[in-house]
Amino acid sequence: MNRPTDRRRFLKNTSAATIAALAAGAPMTNFLLSSCGKRKPDTKADTVILLWMGGGMAHTDTFDPKRYTPFTKGMKANDVLSTFPSIPTAIDGVHFSEGLGSIGKVMDKGTIIRSYVAADLGFILHSRHQYHWHTCYKPPQTVSVPHIGSWIAKELGPMNPVIPPFISIGQRFTVGEGEEVKAFHTAGFLGNEYGPFLIPDPSAGLESVRPPVGMSELRFEKRNQLYNELISAGAAGEFGSDYQKESLRRSMEQAYILLKSPEAAAFDLSKEPKEIYDIYNTGRFGLGCLMARRLTERGARFISVTTEYEPFMNWDTHDHGHTRLVDMKKQIDGPIAQLIKDLERTGRLDRTLVILASEFSRDMMVEGRPDLKVQEQVQQPDIITDIKNYGMHRHFTDGCSMLMFGGGIKKGNVYGKTADERPCKTIENPIMIDQVHQSIYHALGIPPDTHYVIEKRPFYTTPDGKGLPVLDLFA
Amino acid sequence: MMDEPKYNFRGRKLIAVCISLLLAGLIAVYLIEFTRQPEQVTSTFWLWRFLGRLHPLTVHFPIVLILIAALLEIFTWRAYRSPLRPAIDLLLPAGVITAAFSVVFGLFLSKDGDYGGDALAVHQWTGIATCLLGGTAWWLSRRAQKKSENVSLNSYRTILLFTALGVIIAGHYGASLAHGKDYLTATLPWSSDFDQSASLGAGTDFSDKDTAHLTPKQELELQVKVRAIFAHNCTKCHGPEKVKGDLRLDAKNFVFKGGEKGPIVVPGNIEKSEIFRRITLPAGHKELMPSEGKKLSEGDVAVIRYWIKKGTPWPDGSDNMQIFRLAPLAPRDPSLPPTTADITNPIDRWTNQYFSSNKISWPALVDDRTYLKRISLDITGLLPSPEEFNSFIKDVRPDKRTIRVRELLNKKEDYAAHWLSFWNDLLRNDYTGTGYITGGRFEITDWLYKAIRSNMPYDRLTKELINPTEPSKGFIEGIKWRGVVNASQRTEMQAAQNVSQVFLGLNLKCTSCHNSFISDWKLEDAYAFADIFADSSLEINRCDKPTGKYTHARMLWKELGDIDSNANKKTRMSQLADNIVKPENGRFYRTIVNRVWAQLMGRGLVEPVDVMDNEPWDQDLLDWMATHFQQGGSDLRELIFLIATSKTYQLPSVGMATANDIVTHTYQFKGMVKKRMTGEQFSDAVSKMIEPVYPDSLMMYKPIYDSGYLPSILFRARASFVSNDHFLTALGRPNRETVTSRRETQANLLQALELTNGERLNSILHRGAEKWKRRYGKSDAIVREIYHRALLREPKEKELQVAIGSLGGDPSVDAIQDLFWSVVLLPEFQIIN
Repeated sequence: MNRPTDRRRFLKNTSAATIAALAAGAPMTNFLLSSCGKRKPDTKADTVILLWMGGGMAHTDTFDPKRYTPFTKGMKANDVLSTFPSIPTAIDGVHFSEGLGSIGKVMDKGTIIRSYVAADLGFILHSRHQYHWHTCYKPPQTVSVPHIGSWIAKELGPMNPVIPPFISIGQRFTVGEGEEVKAFHTAGFLGNEYGPFLIPDPSAGLESVRPPVGMSELRFEKRNQLYNELISAGAAGEFGSDYQKESLRRSMEQAYILLKSPEAAAFDLSKEPKEIYDIYNTGRFGLGCLMARRLTERGARFISVTTEYEPFMNWDTHDHGHTRLVDMKKQIDGPIAQLIKDLERTGRLDRTLVILASEFSRDMMVEGRPDLKVQEQVQQPDIITDIKNYGMHRHFTDGCSMLMFGGGIKKGNVYGKTADERPCKTIENPIMIDQVHQSIYHALGIPPDTHYVIEKRPFYTTPDGKGLPVLDLFA
Repeated sequence: MMDEPKYNFRGRKLIAVCISLLLAGLIAVYLIEFTRQPEQVTSTFWLWRFLGRLHPLTVHFPIVLILIAALLEIFTWRAYRSPLRPAIDLLLPAGVITAAFSVVFGLFLSKDGDYGGDALAVHQWTGIATCLLGGTAWWLSRRAQKKSENVSLNSYRTILLFTALGVIIAGHYGASLAHGKDYLTATLPWSSDFDQSASLGAGTDFSDKDTAHLTPKQELELQVKVRAIFAHNCTKCHGPEKVKGDLRLDAKNFVFKGGEKGPIVVPGNIEKSEIFRRITLPAGHKELMPSEGKKLSEGDVAVIRYWIKKGTPWPDGSDNMQIFRLAPLAPRDPSLPPTTADITNPIDRWTNQYFSSNKISWPALVDDRTYLKRISLDITGLLPSPEEFNSFIKDVRPDKRTIRVRELLNKKEDYAAHWLSFWNDLLRNDYTGTGYITGGRFEITDWLYKAIRSNMPYDRLTKELINPTEPSKGFIEGIKWRGVVNASQRTEMQAAQNVSQVFLGLNLKCTSCHNSFISDWKLEDAYAFADIFADSSLEINRCDKPTGKYTHARMLWKELGDIDSNANKKTRMSQLADNIVKPENGRFYRTIVNRVWAQLMGRGLVEPVDVMDNEPWDQDLLDWMATHFQQGGSDLRELIFLIATSKTYQLPSVGMATANDIVTHTYQFKGMVKKRMTGEQFSDAVSKMIEPVYPDSLMMYKPIYDSGYLPSILFRARASFVSNDHFLTALGRPNRETVTSRRETQANLLQALELTNGERLNSILHRGAEKWKRRYGKSDAIVREIYHRALLREPKEKELQVAIGSLGGDPSVDAIQDLFWSVVLLPEFQIIN
């Protein structure tokens, strides 16, 4: 690559194509020995948005409501299946829990899965199940295992070379269990290059992709110019070539181009019309959905937006389950429905796979699953006298709801079923995590036996490369 | 004038014309067929393939004819007109003509089949050149006879001898292509491929001519060879883990049962053996096996062919023979090569021997500036200050480099703060991480720091980790997550995996789930080893499924001693610790010596450093160092001293085009491989020269210094004492959930973004700029000072001009900050040459 002498003119003329060339010429390699398979020709999606309901979202109080029992003092806990009434959705005969009406109205554009069965990992720890959901492997593992976003980033690369291919919005690692959550927000053996680009707070997202705080555009440009001039004036050519130096120069160049590029505006939520912004602005999660939408317009590959997992917060309802879910639903209902509508309006829904999921569900009585109960963590009185005990407070792994939209997914479809009486467990079409992952890979055209040889053994996207996509989910 | 020789016969011209036409025709066909379109091996016309296969037949004619012609020429050197002359005059043209045909057929053959690479190119071009040389010799010989010129006669004879030489060279490469590169040399007892036990392999011609019956011993050896080929190439997909096409190749009954389409081998019948058809299909064919990875080598194909021909022997009891390379366990003390006038350091004596046998000459050693930067960063993790640099430059003592290394090693606190990161990676110790939250993990920092600072002998350090006391138990206790974990990841198994990886350079991870496909270790071995750490014997799980079987605690190598499986856990761990550090355990000492070497030299003698069964690029050097390290009291600091003061360490560095090039097995040592500063070194360098990156309040570990300690730096929060954060993660500090023995040093976009606009670096540079503005004021002084500190040199004229230009006459804090930023991101600053 020749270095243009006039850097400003170079930048002015830098188009996405030039940048693509810049990225393509890069011998980015690591110690991986082999991959396999090419991307299949008939792909259904280019982009994935994962809407993560961290903390365990109770299916009977959200997307799979059962018989409603209103709160009364002295009620029997075992009678309570749902703490909200049901409301109709756009699919005939399919109901959601009250508070999710907006999402209900867009269900004609997607599929509800009611039969996700989480793994049995014993005495429950949220972050272990989240690790399992995001990597498809049960922790701990003998090697550092990649997040699904990293696999996708590695296999497909960025959609747009200046937008990092794996963006994680909304999760901070400074909260409780942060270290455990961090353990799966990694590209693992795929190499740091494919790790998550972290935007803990979407309202401050722009700060991640613009010149340092307090630095003007002009100064930023001058700084970069100085850097390049010092390299040329110095001893750059003296020591021959090596990958450390080449990769350093190349990635500094890429970072500069990203920070200068119009794409950076995708991270700037203030550019959004007020009325739209307001619909999304239900908090950090809602704004995360807005950012995800804006990023899809600039070419993003994998984005996760989380309600954020923090022990005993958000969906992690060890008490006051009913009351707190009112708030949680307000946070997610409007933005998610708007996201789907916006994607459809801009014509991007067809090529964007949107998934809503949680590590497991909740139930008032059962911890774990009915035939394999595990150590209880929540005291649940048999007779409820206090509203704080009214809600789904135990961790339930045998029937969880997921939503999928776009990316070739059937529209107005229901997949799987849970029992109508306690235990409200999966009774039809159970779907496990490797099937979920393989279905996502299927939509993207990543072959099911994709693997790398790591420490001389094959390491697959899903354990042993055995998982298969659920083709019934696709139209 | 001489008479025409008397071997004229009628029709000579006609024959000449016919031969010429035939040759021209073949060349034309070749040119049209194979240069017009890209090579399409699968569609080669049968006749061209047939012609190609005439090459091995015809090629022996010119070899014999030309060599005999040359031989006779030598006999007749003194008497040109010897009675042998007509014979030579007949042999040479015949040789040249058959050579021409061989060349043409050879060209056809090169397009059929899967020849390639350097050997083919050398063979092809020496073949063609030999043919042309032969022709020239023939022409000169005729000239000499006609004109009787001495000049022609001499040139003819010279050219003929060269032709003969060409025949030998081309022939050798041809044979290499046909029989494998080491076919010839492998029989030599001093060759590395020489295998005394393999009376079959090296000496056997895997051809159809061999009709002899195999002895039982030979059958066994043949079967082991076949099994090794299966294990290396096939069982990943045709084994217990994955049974593609319903076929398994990992045991006798499976091999002969065949797959979903029936048997794969028919004893004695190559044509009907499906396996032979599948491994010999042309490259790119969709039925070719292996379907992933490399095509089987010709040698491997020959072995399978021979095995089928011989009736597919698979004697019972052959399952326990070793397939994979297992490095010898015992220590070795090779005697040092001699010293020379300027080569006295034992490492250099070995390097000198290595260089002379690899025809590498000693380049000039690096200058003081490069050397000081290397040893400072390698020993203390700190960049030298301009004052330290100047005093080093001014020092005129001839042994100042050695003196300086000793001084740096004596800075115990700095040394410990630096090497702490290496050990933390290796022992996966950190201040934060998974497991702590539920009490399932323990930190060993205090113990570790003190062990490094006091230079605890390596054998003792290991013993205290394996058979720990409270402060050092974190390594062996592993990481325990709440809930039920995979059987291969229970803490006892983690201990087995980590002890074998860290201390023995052995990967037991595969073996803790099932019998390994990449080594000869068995599932039971891993459980027997893990049992040492278990309160009660562990039930063997195969791929996380209980088998109902149990084993007894024992060492992986029984030569290393016994474990009393009836004793309690504490006793067993103590026995293990004693056994591991025994001097007889050469592998243990080789592993650490190799790790330290890799740390200083950018690449181990063995790579990857966790796979000590791989071959080192110099076995003697590794063995000698390991043995003398052990005999010298397992002193890590002395090991570093020995390496860092060697001329070998002072060689100019070598750059690698990709990170992969470091670990290739064809690696040849020529000097240190260029390194990039680690995140900690970068952070500490910025802290030392501009402004502390981390305040003391972020220190997760605060060492208590000896009273006599005089800090050589004005900040306390070395990056190894703080928690991992965005900044350090971006610069390659790993999460220490698993053992890490090599860090990623390649830059990437996420890292560049952190450096470009990350808060940590930019705010520190800003704060530093404010101080520099007050302290130095003038642009010129600031530029010179930052160049002195960062690059240990004066700025060049052009650099001075650019930098001062950016600062202006009265530099603003912002401008100074931006200069800092530009300098610390220079490759020259970050790369250790």
